[in-house]
Amino acid sequence: MAMVKYRNSVNPWKDFERLRDEINDLFNVGLDSEPRGLFERHVSPALDLTEEADHFKVMCELPGIEQKDIDITITGKVLTIKGERKGENRNEGEKVFKKESWTGSFQRTISLPQTVDPDRNIDAVLANGILTLTLPKKEEAKPKQITVKVE
Amino acid sequence: METKDIEKREENKASVRSRCDVIEKPGEILLKLEMPGVSKEGLEININGDQLEIRGKKDPLKGEDSRYLIHEIRDADYHQLYTIDDTIDRNRIDAALKNGVLTLKLSLKESEKPRRIKIKAE
Repeated sequence: MAMVKYRNSVNPWKDFERLRDEINDLFNVGLDSEPRGLFERHVSPALDLTEEADHFKVMCELPGIEQKDIDITITGKVLTIKGERKGENRNEGEKVFKKESWTGSFQRTISLPQTVDPDRNIDAVLANGILTLTLPKKEEAKPKQITVKVE
Repeated sequence: METKDIEKREENKASVRSRCDVIEKPGEILLKLEMPGVSKEGLEININGDQLEIRGKKDPLKGEDSRYLIHEIRDADYHQLYTIDDTIDRNRIDAALKNGVLTLKLSLKESEKPRRIKIKAE
């Protein structure tokens, strides 16, 4: 069994992270999902990864993107979500006053935890602009109930 | 206004402005607001005089007994106020939510639309 570092349930940085978010809100920073790396040419949409008892869940913000424009691949332990958000054709006589939404290609790659079972069926649902992937855990990683007999 | 701020604080949930495109078409103005994670039930659009208020409540993404390994999506609801002028017909505002994008169609009043005046040749 793999040794896992003890994780304190109290996050000492939580208050600081909230303060950072609140300051960013004041200046509306963080609204754009800009390319994250130095040589990145793609937009990186925001993403959550959560762990539950028998599965992991990946949630990715993809507003305004159709199902057919999303491509999800898993190679080993690397999950890649990519695709393209198509812009609308502008007709004659239309004036754009403000454009904050992005168009073009996007890509997001994360490494999955070791306990993900890549061979099993992975569920992908796109609803309300959020892509949700359900990744089952390996059988041996699932919590098991061990009953202790009292004699 | 003050009581509203207090109410907001009591809710203790941050609200952010959503990304927005404003496009003018002949006879109408389109507002496109990106609100990923908001369903039709969580959406509230109010017009109060000159103020157009849009609130989008996110459905909880995370289950009760799950923990985050990566957490980038802001745990905040969407809220924004727009001031609309007299040229917009208050009774003809269409809203459609698709793939997490809310499209508001604000129609101009008939009297505000450009009219062409023909010159009669004699």
